[in-house]
Amino acid sequence: MDSITFKGVGKRYRKLWALRDVDAGFHTGEVVMVIGPNGSGKTTFIKCLLGLVRPTSGAIHVNGERIGDDPAYRHRIGYMPQISQFPPALTIGQLLDMMRDVRGLAPERTDDGLVEDLGLSTQLQKRLGTLSGGTMQKVSAVLAFRSAPDILVMDEPTAGLDPLSARTVLGRAAAVRERGGTVLITSHLMEEVEALADRVAYLQDGTLRFLLPLREILARTGTDRLSAALPLMLADPR
Amino acid sequence: MTMGKVLYYTLVDLARNRSVLAFAALLFVVAEGLFLVEGEAIKAVLSLVQVVLALVPLVALVFTVVYTYGAQEFTQLLAVQPIGRSAILGGRMLALGLSFLVALLFGLGLPLTVHAPGGTSLVLLVAAVLLAWVFLALGTLIALVNRDKARGVGTALAAWAGAVLVYDALLMALLFAFSDRPVEPFVLPVAALNPIDLARIAVTIQVDLAAMMGYSGAVYKKLLGSGPGIGAALAFMLLWVAWPTVLAFRVFRSKDL
Amino acid sequence: MTRRGILRRPAAWALAMGLAVPAAATTWTVSPKGPHTKLRTVLSTAAANDSIRVLAGTYAEGALVIDRPLTLLGVGAPVIDGGQQGHVLVITAPNVTVKGFVITGTLVSNIHDNAGIHVDGGDDVKLLDNELRNCFFALHLVNTKRALITGNRILGDPATPETRRANGIHMWRCADAVIRGNRAEHHRDGIYFEFVTGSRIEDNLCRGNLRYGLHFMFSHRNDYAGNEFVDNGAGVAVMFSHSIRMTGNRFMHNRGGSAYGLLLKEINDSEVRDNSFTDNTTGLMVDGCNRVRAEGNSFRSNGWALRLFSNATGCTIAGNSFIGNTFDVSTNGDLMLNTLAANYWDRHLGYDLDRDGHGDVPYRPVGFFALLVERIPYAIIFSRSLFVTLLDQAERVIPSLTPDALKDDRPLMRPPHG
Repeated sequence: MDSITFKGVGKRYRKLWALRDVDAGFHTGEVVMVIGPNGSGKTTFIKCLLGLVRPTSGAIHVNGERIGDDPAYRHRIGYMPQISQFPPALTIGQLLDMMRDVRGLAPERTDDGLVEDLGLSTQLQKRLGTLSGGTMQKVSAVLAFRSAPDILVMDEPTAGLDPLSARTVLGRAAAVRERGGTVLITSHLMEEVEALADRVAYLQDGTLRFLLPLREILARTGTDRLSAALPLMLADPR
Repeated sequence: MTMGKVLYYTLVDLARNRSVLAFAALLFVVAEGLFLVEGEAIKAVLSLVQVVLALVPLVALVFTVVYTYGAQEFTQLLAVQPIGRSAILGGRMLALGLSFLVALLFGLGLPLTVHAPGGTSLVLLVAAVLLAWVFLALGTLIALVNRDKARGVGTALAAWAGAVLVYDALLMALLFAFSDRPVEPFVLPVAALNPIDLARIAVTIQVDLAAMMGYSGAVYKKLLGSGPGIGAALAFMLLWVAWPTVLAFRVFRSKDL
Repeated sequence: MTRRGILRRPAAWALAMGLAVPAAATTWTVSPKGPHTKLRTVLSTAAANDSIRVLAGTYAEGALVIDRPLTLLGVGAPVIDGGQQGHVLVITAPNVTVKGFVITGTLVSNIHDNAGIHVDGGDDVKLLDNELRNCFFALHLVNTKRALITGNRILGDPATPETRRANGIHMWRCADAVIRGNRAEHHRDGIYFEFVTGSRIEDNLCRGNLRYGLHFMFSHRNDYAGNEFVDNGAGVAVMFSHSIRMTGNRFMHNRGGSAYGLLLKEINDSEVRDNSFTDNTTGLMVDGCNRVRAEGNSFRSNGWALRLFSNATGCTIAGNSFIGNTFDVSTNGDLMLNTLAANYWDRHLGYDLDRDGHGDVPYRPVGFFALLVERIPYAIIFSRSLFVTLLDQAERVIPSLTPDALKDDRPLMRPPHG
């Protein structure tokens, strides 16, 4: 069953089409890896889904509802951006409290297991302005997972994270899939995510070149790694 | 509900920011200084009018623009939560508006109440608050329309100079050019289209302007002292708050973050 | 007043002689209980130089005429009510004294100058400590020399419209009068003189009059000292006179389109000294005057402190202080044949390196905006606009429009008085 569908979604910035006529469906209980070169439209694709960017054309449905002005559908979405910037004067603890409050999340329904797992529990008093990039990413990861989302969107989640933390985060993402959630991950570091991915979406110049099961890609190209399969796929996607 | 939360957390951030506090302190020091230097309270009030009419719009405008650009990441963080765009913008504008109100009550209202309680001071204070809100709304709109921060700040400064200087200069030039025509009835209404001029006239007509304008001055003073006159002036100022606010909401609703 | 001054006056001689040779003067008493109840009867039967004591009560006998030298003393503020028939009291003889009465009931008229007390040719009349209540004219004197008018309270009704008001103290063709310590309120003009010379007007209060607190024309050689002119519709206007001295008067709160603390029009060879001008639309306006010296005056919180028209010549503005005025000096032309010297200007920011108490660089008190407003009056609505402030600063630094002579070469560093 599709939890997310893109129908003819396009986004134009002035003269440049950052996303062009994207049709795609994402199922429950899968991890989709969204890849593509720099400037291929990955971030725009994600931003459209999150409502940060308004598509110029087409429609996006989440759980059957077309997304628009009503922000309610984002209750189901957890998002971990590529780069996080938080109000520098707040401490981690204050930010967590604030975001829970803003989301209207009850404490007992808040899953803050990652705080412990990523070793943040001793750093709750630190101000966000003083944190390293990696720690910011950890905070960002905590925020993405804590509402037990049906849909998890992660933009380059492992960049800046140490390998151990990266594995923890990806493990959590896998758990979302096991629960029947939909997980979208963009990443350059293919190997890390590859192990997790059920399907792969490839974007180029704003166009969705293919959205296929990883297994099928490997079978079709007779390779055992996505990095080896990609050049072959791009030569002949059909 | 969610707007209330955005309002609350923006207020908390503004309180930590200390810029608004610094603005209040600056106003307080200037006001106290003027009351100290000028022998007579009413003269200090009149000097204060000039300071307030130039400074309050400038600070409100520039601070709003800079704060709006500075809050971009926080805005994004909020926008991916289940919070509507209008709640985000509304909460932030309300927070800024409240902060300006508090800063003006403390920095301006306190010295005025202590040294020169009375109608003129009240008019000045109300005018200052409304001006702060007008330029908060304009600043928000400018920052939302211009993606580039330097360009936004530049536009804001130009808007300020336009309202505080250029408008009067142009109007005076026109007045000079048409001095042989019966343009008198139009001068004040046209001047009052500019919120800064409206505020200035509303305050000074309480003090010496009416007497110096002769017969029409008495008429205007009566008008601005009457219920409908006050209502119209307030409504006009609120209109100046409203139109940039409405536009800002429309821009922000479909803005790419 | 000097001793010589007293003896020179015929009134004083008469008084001295009367004391020296006691005449067989009678003192009459009028009272509601008798022996005489009608004032009119007594006034017509009393002999010259008799005295009449009038006890408390109301005497409504129509217009009363005093046509011989008599002294009327009110005891316990008796009321003479004219009953709206014309004048209330008419004095046509010299050497009459009226003291301590309440006088009311004049007829308002467009044809006749009806007054509470009308004096025609009554030299040496003394009007003392009376109260004139809601009169049309209150004290109306014509062709009278050496009148002494002191301590009267002339109170009009604030609700009376202008068409039903006339002047408080009105004098026409009088000379050598002394008017001291009176109050004139809520009339048309507080004090009005035409062809009045050699008189002294001091310590009076004129307040709330619809037109002028003091208004005179063709009235030379008069001294005005220590009077207070407050809240009058058009302030004080004096015209077409010479040799006037105005010292220590207070001109306050005279506000309105054409209200002046003091308007001098065609006044020559006169002095305006040590007065204070506070909170007037225009403090002092000098129009077509010659050789007027304005010295030691204090101008505070006026719209225009001083409007010095270019048709004035040989006037000196010196040692005054200008504080908190919207405009300190304004003029209407390029020509300036008057002198500004050693005044204190609160806007003057100059320095005094040689420490002689005067700024080292001339100060130009006329701003660009003041000149602009003089040409286009309704440009005033730009008052206190930032643009105007900048223009004024520019004009002070690089004078281009201000008349060259309109400057104070030795501006004071401190106000000459408090």
